[in-house]
Amino acid sequence: MTPTHYICKYTPTELLTALGGDCVLLDEAPENFDLSDQVAHPNLCGFGKSILQAVLSGGVRELVLVNCCDTIRSAYDILKAHGKLDFLYMLDLLHNQDGCSVDHAKGQLLALAEAYRAYKGTRFDRDAFLRAFAPVRPLSGPHITVLGARMGQALFDMTQSLLPLPAENSTCVNNRSVALPPDPPEDFDGLMGAYARALLGQIPCMRMTDKSGRNRLYNDPGLAGVVYHTVKFCDYYGFEYAQLKEELSVPLLKLESDGTRQSQEQLRTRLEAFAEGLHREDAPLRRSPAGKGYYAGIDSGSTTTDVVILDQERSVKAKVILPTGAGASGGAARALEQALQEAGLTQADLSATVTTGYGRSVISTGDKSITEITCHAKGAHFLNPDVRTVIDIGGQDSKVIRLDEAGGVVNFVMNDKCAAGTGRFLEMMARTLELTLEEISQVGLVWNEDITISSMCTVFADSEVVSLVAQNKALPDIVHGLNKSVAARAAALFRRVKGEAVCMMTGGVSHNQGVVQAIEETLGLPLFIHEDAQLCGALGAALFAWEMPAE
Amino acid sequence: MDITAAFGRRVSRLAQEDPEKARRFLLLGWRANGIKNRLRPGKRSPSDRMLFQAVNQAMVRCLARPEKNVMVSLFTPCEPLLTQGLLPYSCEAFSSYLSGSMAEEGFLRHAEETGIPSSLCSYHKIFIGAAQTDLMPRPRFILNTSLACDANTLTFRYLAEHYGVPHFSIDVPYEQSPQSVDYVAGQLREMSGFLAQQTGVPVNQAKLIETVSRGQRTLQHYQDFLSARAGKALLSDLTSELYRTAAFHLLLGSPESEAMARQMKAEAQAAPPARGHQLLWLHTTPYWVPPLRAIFDHAQGVQIAASDMSYEGFVPDADPEKPYETMAKRLVYSSFNGPAQRRIQRALEVAEQVQADGAVWFCHWGCKHTLGGAQLAKAAFEEKGLPTLLLDGDSCDRGFGGEGQAATRMEAFLELLSTHREGSAS
Repeated sequence: MTPTHYICKYTPTELLTALGGDCVLLDEAPENFDLSDQVAHPNLCGFGKSILQAVLSGGVRELVLVNCCDTIRSAYDILKAHGKLDFLYMLDLLHNQDGCSVDHAKGQLLALAEAYRAYKGTRFDRDAFLRAFAPVRPLSGPHITVLGARMGQALFDMTQSLLPLPAENSTCVNNRSVALPPDPPEDFDGLMGAYARALLGQIPCMRMTDKSGRNRLYNDPGLAGVVYHTVKFCDYYGFEYAQLKEELSVPLLKLESDGTRQSQEQLRTRLEAFAEGLHREDAPLRRSPAGKGYYAGIDSGSTTTDVVILDQERSVKAKVILPTGAGASGGAARALEQALQEAGLTQADLSATVTTGYGRSVISTGDKSITEITCHAKGAHFLNPDVRTVIDIGGQDSKVIRLDEAGGVVNFVMNDKCAAGTGRFLEMMARTLELTLEEISQVGLVWNEDITISSMCTVFADSEVVSLVAQNKALPDIVHGLNKSVAARAAALFRRVKGEAVCMMTGGVSHNQGVVQAIEETLGLPLFIHEDAQLCGALGAALFAWEMPAE
Repeated sequence: MDITAAFGRRVSRLAQEDPEKARRFLLLGWRANGIKNRLRPGKRSPSDRMLFQAVNQAMVRCLARPEKNVMVSLFTPCEPLLTQGLLPYSCEAFSSYLSGSMAEEGFLRHAEETGIPSSLCSYHKIFIGAAQTDLMPRPRFILNTSLACDANTLTFRYLAEHYGVPHFSIDVPYEQSPQSVDYVAGQLREMSGFLAQQTGVPVNQAKLIETVSRGQRTLQHYQDFLSARAGKALLSDLTSELYRTAAFHLLLGSPESEAMARQMKAEAQAAPPARGHQLLWLHTTPYWVPPLRAIFDHAQGVQIAASDMSYEGFVPDADPEKPYETMAKRLVYSSFNGPAQRRIQRALEVAEQVQADGAVWFCHWGCKHTLGGAQLAKAAFEEKGLPTLLLDGDSCDRGFGGEGQAATRMEAFLELLSTHREGSAS
């Protein structure tokens, strides 16, 4: 039987089932949106685009939508115009939840029933209808709840696999819970009235005017943490995240996806770091090491691979920074080899090795892999125990980490999937201005005119810089404007985690004096920069290796 | 030195240190701007001068008399408020004024830093940032409609919680039907009850009928203007086009709005024949983009003949003696309500009415409603022989950038229209 796909928890799946339908939740996480982008603007939300992609690729023949939001309404308009479906219907639900709203919903159910019955050529089966109500069993005991915009099964499976506690998917459509009252009316009209009330009686989604019923999701006594999922260009749930960020007392991680499978690895890092934070108090104590009492940390970054080797007293025996090159694995092997040489050691002398950074999962060397977020915090705390915030700006991402007194991660944020505010942005701008990285670091320190580069997009900022050059603006003034632009991004992340002094800056961009100065001016506080700032991740990894129990 | 930029920077800085002082400084600037517009109106037509005056006064009052302020979404029918002497101000108007003062960036970033999504409409982000920093005066209460976008539900609910003020929300059904009109009219009656409760003064029915009648006449004048301006050269600017949106919504029903619309009609009837291109504009205008202003402002070569932000709510068969039904019809039958095809169809009718030779569908950042209909509109317009430019941009956030690219796309489109015209002539 051709399945009837749906996307929203207010969809009357029990009614469609009773009319002979096989209801299937549309759960599409495509590789890309090539088909969707041909018919719709790319700045629609990823969920809406995934619906378009699924239909246009021929995987969906019957679809029942709900008037959820501007994007779904647009998806309906577009799909209607493209006429690729055998059955397409959109149910109109009001935003208010008053008596009129129930009457309106009942009218909509009757109209849908009529249209679907005519399409399927079936009759309403009351027994099948009543059987279709599935009881919901919420998790009991300590658990993590995933809230926010719809999270597809693949991403939820990954989330669940990385978290140390059972997880519940309560995003968007996934917290569906519809129950008819006992002894529902016998007549179809009355039954649909009761059904409309039951559908609208669910925990409201964020589109509903009165969202107070959502408190049930956060006031669960077993709630040990929240992963808050947002979808790029979906605005509804960002508002709830902004509220929970201030109100929740359990750990909270914001995870933003774009509806594709592309950003999975970056999301993995965030989830792993969150899981490490939940596990922090259970970190194993040091025991007698195997090997000869040397500990290596390897930080495999997008630009460089850094290695630190510590001895049993946690003194640094070797530190190496090498370009990562084409492959993370080969880069790590080269860097470790060089570090061992520098320390006069061999691989057999190492008691433990911990890998971190983007390439950590593909490096075969190493006893354990820990995210760069946790490692940076560890390394920063080691270099200066007073550090409470780390601003790390590397080649392809920037992040701000807030630490507790023991060097554990309290909170962290990372930049979006965008080059603005990262080392890559500065590299691009240096190329445009025909400067080396060393020159761009210095040239903006003394400036006259306070230029603001207003474009937040790297490509547009590039053309803004070209235009400033054409206007004969002085080079130091332009570079100062660029430094302020990077500083504004970093400061925004700093404020999002409620950063506080002492603030340390790490990553390759910490060598750029112009950016450092601009961040200090923007935040109004001095940055602590250690000569080994770039090695912070590798150092943290080595410290974790040092703490590892022996085999 | 750019005085406006320096003014904007000072407002942003003061807002962080002393919001009350920032508000006073802003008020000073907006008053000075009103005086400047009066004394040196430049090339503006008499109706545009009236428009600037009316909008400026409304914005100044909103800062100067916070006790009378009511925060509304743009499509909220404001006639009941006007009858009670209350001062409505909307997200779009306040944010545009802040952006015009070159003070938007700090508020926009502040909102994002608190977790408000960066993909939210910039008007709403600036508005929220201004509220969070206490620059924006606390309103007495908040009214909004679910029309014309999701951001209304989100922003006004958030701000009602933020300020802790009473909130009334009007839910507009998607479907166009008499039942939908009745449902919305019922809510508007409830809204009047809410106003009476908040102010202690019931809404005077006779005054309301008078105000709604004036509003209906104003929109009729605008319709007459659109017909009269077909084939005429009426020079204006991108800013005025944006201000008209406020005049036909927030100020609808006021004597100033009616006088301005009547004057527009008179100017259109007396205008000389057009020499340049006549464009239909969809959504708000990015008035802050200097190269686009250079193309449009008081230019003979191209004019915006109509904007759907101004004409969307006109219903010809409304009976102002039934004021709640009239206001409800405007909402239910707005071209922004229901499927995108309604907005497209209405645009095609207006394009014919004003004899537009091209259309610009402006994809304002964060407006999912407009983004969603973009490709459908282009296909439908071009099928009817109306060349269409889909222009990405932001109506109030300079951080969007890409001014040069926007101007290049617009100029290329105008070249295309010229080629089209020459082709038709030959």
